[in-house]
Amino acid sequence: MIEQLGNGLLLGVIIALGSVALSLLYGVTRIVNFAHGEIIAFGAIMALFFSSSPESSLLYFDRFNPLGINFLTSIILSTILCGIFGGLLELVLFRPLRKNNFGNIAVLVVTIGLSIFLRHVYLLFASAKPSSFPLELQRRVDYYGVQLTPRNLQVLIVGFVVMVLVGLFLSYTKTGKAMRAVRDSTELANVSGINSDFIILVTWIFSSMLAGFTGVIQGVINNVRWNMGFLILLLIFAGTVLGGIGTSFGAMFGGFVIGILVQLSVGLEFMDGHTEAKNAIALALMIIILLVRPQGIFGKKERVS
Amino acid sequence: MKKLTNILFFIILIISFIFLFNNSGGPRIFINLMTFAGIYGLAAIGINVHFGWTGLLNFGHAAFMGIGAYTTVLLIPHTLGREGDVITTGLPLSLAIICGLLASALLGLLLGLPTLRLRGDYLAIVTIAAAEIFRLLVRDFEDLTGGVYGIILFSDALQDHRPEIITEFSRTNGIPAAQVWVGMLTLLSILIVLTILSRLKRSPWGRALRAVREDEDAVRALGKNAVWLKLQSFMLGAAIGGLSGIFLVFNYGTVQASTFVPVLTFYVWAALILGGVGSLSGPVLGAVIFWVIIAGTDSITRIIFESPDGQQLAGVRFVIVGLLIMLFMIFRPSGILGKKEELLLDVK
Repeated sequence: MIEQLGNGLLLGVIIALGSVALSLLYGVTRIVNFAHGEIIAFGAIMALFFSSSPESSLLYFDRFNPLGINFLTSIILSTILCGIFGGLLELVLFRPLRKNNFGNIAVLVVTIGLSIFLRHVYLLFASAKPSSFPLELQRRVDYYGVQLTPRNLQVLIVGFVVMVLVGLFLSYTKTGKAMRAVRDSTELANVSGINSDFIILVTWIFSSMLAGFTGVIQGVINNVRWNMGFLILLLIFAGTVLGGIGTSFGAMFGGFVIGILVQLSVGLEFMDGHTEAKNAIALALMIIILLVRPQGIFGKKERVS
Repeated sequence: MKKLTNILFFIILIISFIFLFNNSGGPRIFINLMTFAGIYGLAAIGINVHFGWTGLLNFGHAAFMGIGAYTTVLLIPHTLGREGDVITTGLPLSLAIICGLLASALLGLLLGLPTLRLRGDYLAIVTIAAAEIFRLLVRDFEDLTGGVYGIILFSDALQDHRPEIITEFSRTNGIPAAQVWVGMLTLLSILIVLTILSRLKRSPWGRALRAVREDEDAVRALGKNAVWLKLQSFMLGAAIGGLSGIFLVFNYGTVQASTFVPVLTFYVWAALILGGVGSLSGPVLGAVIFWVIIAGTDSITRIIFESPDGQQLAGVRFVIVGLLIMLFMIFRPSGILGKKEELLLDVK
């Protein structure tokens, strides 16, 4: 069972990063964003497009040649692109909806439509089979009993650093404080001279960049495919709900718990031969959490019915 | 704005029809399309009871459809799984269908009990998760469900009851008799379900449901049990979904783990939003239009990509489905038949 811990940490870092982004967006805008997974996939696909060598046989895009840029530059470029993408979504789609007083439920249905639309646009532009980033294969090494490849260890550390940075950003910078103010009450924030429209735009950009980065990490750890965002989205929801939807540190914690739990459950005795069902355990846990403690472990108690 | 979207919509519809009937084999395509439209319409009626009447966001309809279908099929003679185990004993079909509907309603109750106390967006997450759990379990527990190999050779139980006149009619017109029979039964069920629902809608019970949708606190204050009302609505919609799932698998003649996937739910939602949330027959009309558009899209895809593979066909289809859901929700949230005042746009 313990040999799965490495995998659990890796899945955990993906879910935790994704959960922070989702939870932040929910906290500030009250949008349950089902298209979140598609922004994650966008980040990974763009990074693949930038970094694959132009004559590579693993063409994800059949009709365009990849650019073949250095991998680190590709990550930065695709993260920025995701930020722009998220900002555009807010300006073109979600701000007009908010101005026209669309309710949360209508917006939720719109994000579901958006998610289906985007995912299949990716499918049309790419091949259905999974591809990997142009990185050399590595062997697993034993780090104090946890089996990881050196690159995945780096990914894990980078993921942790990014999460700490996000936490510091939210706690100590002016923009971060303004985000938390809008999250707690839009009206009060407006009264205190915070431009809530601007803060929501910043939140969209920030959350989308984080989501894009999540996608890159997911691509490095596993592989890149058109529906990767949809596959991870439900686990991200589970992580977010477990930690408390709208919280940041709770979402990180919940993400790691879900990731580790999913991978460790593979080693359980009654799971023998039922590998597919491991995700079902995480989802069932989410439903139970909603039943017992709907505000999550770290969430503030509020009326949720 | 409204006029513009109307005109745009009818242009799309007409183009789709032209593309559709430009093909050879018109009657065969027509029967296929109408049968699927009927089945999806029935499923959409189920979601309409949840969302349109009571304001419950159910994004796990595939699970309700699936559990009804699996229960029914497993209770009648069938052939199961990788090895093709033949099971010849079973309940009579009518009894099996009733068990299937009860199973759907029971899943609705199980899922509803913990979650209907939650806010709408939580319910959406939970139902979508439940549908995924259902899919994973069906896939994984191959001994019971046949997994990816599925269940085959069960449709005789239904086709044995087919009247001779349909067989004759189909043979002379060159259309598959089995599908005609399933399609007719689907239409008949839609009529029965709609008749019952139109009575229910005007009954005190139906009014109480809509009151729950509008203002739950007010309903509570009047001494009604809002959670129990929501549960009843959830069970009713789930059972209607189960019925449509049963017709779906009898139409295919087989059922596998890939039959009841999450995307099925989105198809049904698209049909519902097209037709009109909250209106009685809107979902059925929406399903017909939806399938005409889908069939039209396939023809257009064949023109854009010279020889499209299944991936491109599915891709374009779902791009359209996503767009339809988005655009209708934004610009014409009442669908084609829905009433504007019956909407929940400002529900928080």
